[in-house]
Amino acid sequence: MNKSKEACISLVKRFAKWFLPLFLLTLACLSQADITLRFTSWDGDVSLRVLRKLCDQFEAQNPGVKIDLEQIPDYNVYHQKMIVEYAANAAPDVAMMDPGHFQFLAERGALMPLNQFFSQIPGFNIKDYYPRIVAAHTLKGQLYVLPRDIAPEGLIYYNKAEFKAAGIPYPDGSWTWDFHERPWLKSKDFLWVMHKLTLFNKNGSVKQYGYTPSGDQLLLNALAYGCGLRYTDNPQYPTKVLPNINGWIKVGDLLHDIEQNKHWAPSQLDVSSNFQSAAYQLFVRGQTAMYQDGIWQVPQIRRDMPPGSKDFFDWDIAPFPRYVGAPVMRGPTGGSGYAMFSTCKHKRMAWKFMTFMAGPVGMRAMAEAGIAQPAIRKVALSHAWIPGPNTPYAQLWPHNRIITDQEVANVVFDPTSPYWQDASSYLNAELTTFFNGIISAKTAFTVGRQQSQDRLDYLRHQANLPRFPWAAGILVGLALVAGLCFFVYWPERGKKYTTRQKSENRSAYKFLTLWIIGLVGLTLGPMVLSLLMSVTSWDMITPARWRGVGNFQEAFTADPRFWVSLKVTFIYTAVRVPLSLVFSFVLAMLLNVKVRGIPLYRAAFYIPSLASGVASSLIWMRIFSPNNGLLNSFLYSKWINGTLHIGDWLSNLVGTPHTPVNWIGSEQTALSAFIIMSLWGVGGSTIILLAGLQGVPDMYYEAATVDGASPFKKMKAITLPMITPALFFTLITGFIAAFQNFTDVYVVTSGGGGPNNATMLYMLNLYNMAFANHRFGYAAALGWMLFAIILIVTLIQFQTSKWVYYEADVKK
Amino acid sequence: MAATRAKKIPISERFGKATAVFLLLAGTVVFGLPLYIMLTMAFKSPHEIAVSSPWALPEHWKFSNFTDVLSNPNVSFFLFFKNTLIIAVMASLGATITSAMVAYAFARMNFRGRDRLFIVLLSTMMLPGIVTMIPAYVLFKYLHWINTIYPLWVPAWFGGGAFNVFLLRQFFMGIPREFDEAAILDGATHARIFWSLIIPNSKPALATVAVFAFIYNWRDFLDQLIFLNSPNKQTLEVGLSTYNTLNSSQWNLLMAAAVLVMIPVFIIFLAGQRYFVKGIVMTGGK
Repeated sequence: MNKSKEACISLVKRFAKWFLPLFLLTLACLSQADITLRFTSWDGDVSLRVLRKLCDQFEAQNPGVKIDLEQIPDYNVYHQKMIVEYAANAAPDVAMMDPGHFQFLAERGALMPLNQFFSQIPGFNIKDYYPRIVAAHTLKGQLYVLPRDIAPEGLIYYNKAEFKAAGIPYPDGSWTWDFHERPWLKSKDFLWVMHKLTLFNKNGSVKQYGYTPSGDQLLLNALAYGCGLRYTDNPQYPTKVLPNINGWIKVGDLLHDIEQNKHWAPSQLDVSSNFQSAAYQLFVRGQTAMYQDGIWQVPQIRRDMPPGSKDFFDWDIAPFPRYVGAPVMRGPTGGSGYAMFSTCKHKRMAWKFMTFMAGPVGMRAMAEAGIAQPAIRKVALSHAWIPGPNTPYAQLWPHNRIITDQEVANVVFDPTSPYWQDASSYLNAELTTFFNGIISAKTAFTVGRQQSQDRLDYLRHQANLPRFPWAAGILVGLALVAGLCFFVYWPERGKKYTTRQKSENRSAYKFLTLWIIGLVGLTLGPMVLSLLMSVTSWDMITPARWRGVGNFQEAFTADPRFWVSLKVTFIYTAVRVPLSLVFSFVLAMLLNVKVRGIPLYRAAFYIPSLASGVASSLIWMRIFSPNNGLLNSFLYSKWINGTLHIGDWLSNLVGTPHTPVNWIGSEQTALSAFIIMSLWGVGGSTIILLAGLQGVPDMYYEAATVDGASPFKKMKAITLPMITPALFFTLITGFIAAFQNFTDVYVVTSGGGGPNNATMLYMLNLYNMAFANHRFGYAAALGWMLFAIILIVTLIQFQTSKWVYYEADVKK
Repeated sequence: MAATRAKKIPISERFGKATAVFLLLAGTVVFGLPLYIMLTMAFKSPHEIAVSSPWALPEHWKFSNFTDVLSNPNVSFFLFFKNTLIIAVMASLGATITSAMVAYAFARMNFRGRDRLFIVLLSTMMLPGIVTMIPAYVLFKYLHWINTIYPLWVPAWFGGGAFNVFLLRQFFMGIPREFDEAAILDGATHARIFWSLIIPNSKPALATVAVFAFIYNWRDFLDQLIFLNSPNKQTLEVGLSTYNTLNSSQWNLLMAAAVLVMIPVFIIFLAGQRYFVKGIVMTGGK
């Protein structure tokens, strides 16, 4: 009895000792393991390594919390995906965000206002953050993005060797600029320094530039912001574009003088025509003494020019000079942070996570990796960012990082209004033409301001539209589907079928079952919905509003880009389709010849179509870049230009004699460049035509040979007719592909369709309308108009397809 | 016969072949340029990419770019490879099988509303995908398919896409009618004709569709990026872009990765080629 009692007690004891804690632990785990936070970032490889470590650290500190770090390594698609996910109620909990993108989401209630959480984390104080970046992420007194980093762009990288060679002391930040050179101030005058550091060759060409901005607009902004000019009267709710236009014209004239007359600094076009497409490379190669860009270039310079390597030169950073008439230096800037979507279920934990990632711990880690300047001043001043005694040798450059702190006090952010992207694109198109030296600053700013102002007024004064009537909409949608059935089957009514035909009909529909299920279940719904959207004004987030034919009206009368894009697309299509058809036909004929190694040739012609799209933009830059590019190196080489004069002929044709054609940069050739690019991709249609050629029975040729037919006759009587089905296919799909083309142009022109809209394809305009300007209803209308155009072109081709010869049709 | 032919037209044929070989070689050089750029950059150091000419061969061949790419924990190459392979294989299989069925009906059968249904089929590829992206996303979310690979391959099994159907229809229509007429007289069903007459006689076209669909899905970027979230579900093309982001590009690694990503599709292409070459075996005339 006792024994069993003891046993019983020991069992209970054992249970208490082992199982109870285990049980409680499991319970605790179960109750906490529920928390999974989805966290998205557009960061690339280098930053992701740091982020991942930080997430692990946060998980270790907060048992039961799991962080799903999702990488969306494409800045533009990132924002597109955020909107699509939020629209479908599948947004992440915490997302990376920046001043240019948060306002659209915040205004529509997609992001959580963060002020209410401030008191939840002991020790958190928003005053620790640089006030400028906090203000840039604040809307109507509420913070929506907890800043992670700030990146002043009024930052000058300079090559110490070149300063030494010119006998100029290193810039210490006390320099100023004025609208004219002031030689008496020597190294204290920015223009004088720029002037002295510019070296010319004997023939008058530039050997070394004094100054190179990473983009024309960056220099323009640095100068303009510096003397107090702004793009709009209010960055968040603008009503006026370029309120002080005379000031802008004056700055523009200065820029024109520096770049086009004095050649102290190259324009972007000069950079891409004379060098390898990036201002950054001029600096690394020692071809410019100064170079303006954001602090984010530091890791890349360190990687490309490690201290101790043979091409290393001593360099440092200096602040952009102050305008002589301004009390402080004001420069453009970038920056980013973390936002919480309002659909987040674990807001407290999300906030804790945000303050960890965009708090001292997270910032220190990013700073130590040299990636980002901390948005918390204390961290920015610590040895994590400013080199200290323990900083590894490789990370000592740049030495003068303390200036990044001084600069932040007065940085200026670009306008953040959701309208600005759309409105400013008109001004920017004019500015590009101005930067290329084609029009004066006065013309560019006057015309550009007018167009942008008109656009802004148009966007601001949209009538208060009624809600889209969904019930009626769905009825119309169903009616459309019914109409489609009517279109397909109405002409069939009353036709008499024999039993055999009836059974053939039945088995035909058995073959079609899967397709019809897919059509009804997956394709038709989204198509009908997008058609309904085309009569609405819809930003994808707030409820759609009824706009009737307004979108179509806008395209025809109020969107200047609609007609331009239509014209560009028609030219592009009209040239590309026949060219690629001929090209792929010739290639297919060649590949059909029976010579040795044919499989390898086939593969070689198809390889460009296999190359990854992500890598393609760089490949194209390397092929089309004017001076070093492979295409021009070939066209202007001695044995091509010397004998055939193709290069000279081309240069004269585009009106720039004696300089290599800037394929992508100049207005006359940009579209041709993209057409040439598309020819590299004819591998696909070549294979299709080749399959057609391979299908021609040998016996036909044998019979013709016996009859003594000439090769030309054989071609005309056998080859051509036999591959007309494949040709027809190539033609139809070629038209569709050309009309819908945009990825290559998007990637190479960064979505701008430049220069001066020369490559503004229809789809590019559509894409920008949908995802840059958030006008999805309008984009849907554009999409359906393109649909109509393509449908008509296709139907015409089908109507005139008598030339297509189908073996199966011969005997009926 | 062969001997007489070789004697009969030696000069013109040889001249023709020589011209063809010359053009082929010239074309190979031109079409090889992108590959040349990729390969040279894949073996250069970041510094060399910054300062050297695009023509130049690497001074020091940097094989570590490839090992770096293969061992990067952010872009787990082999996992992404597996994910992409599953998507591409499933989508390619589905597209080939089901588009062949649909194409057969459109090419060789008579049924109610055929020509107008064909227009409906073609019109599904005339509307830009961007416009239907959000409705499609909502639909897939409703099906609980977000962050799964289903949106990337399941639709291919429902007809295989208008492009593939149209392509196969064109080829099926090139097969002489006597084929199936004889078979029908023998009492064969359409399923049988499809399976034992059309399919064996369309290997080049089917191989073309299969290879194209595979390559298309292998290289797809936008759909994969939009529909997949978790890092362990990512694909190669999305992984590649990790090396090329705003203000931080590692061209050397990007190109090394791009070369690695290209190798499998290149092999698929070479394998598929055997069928493109074979041609349609025309038994009817012999």
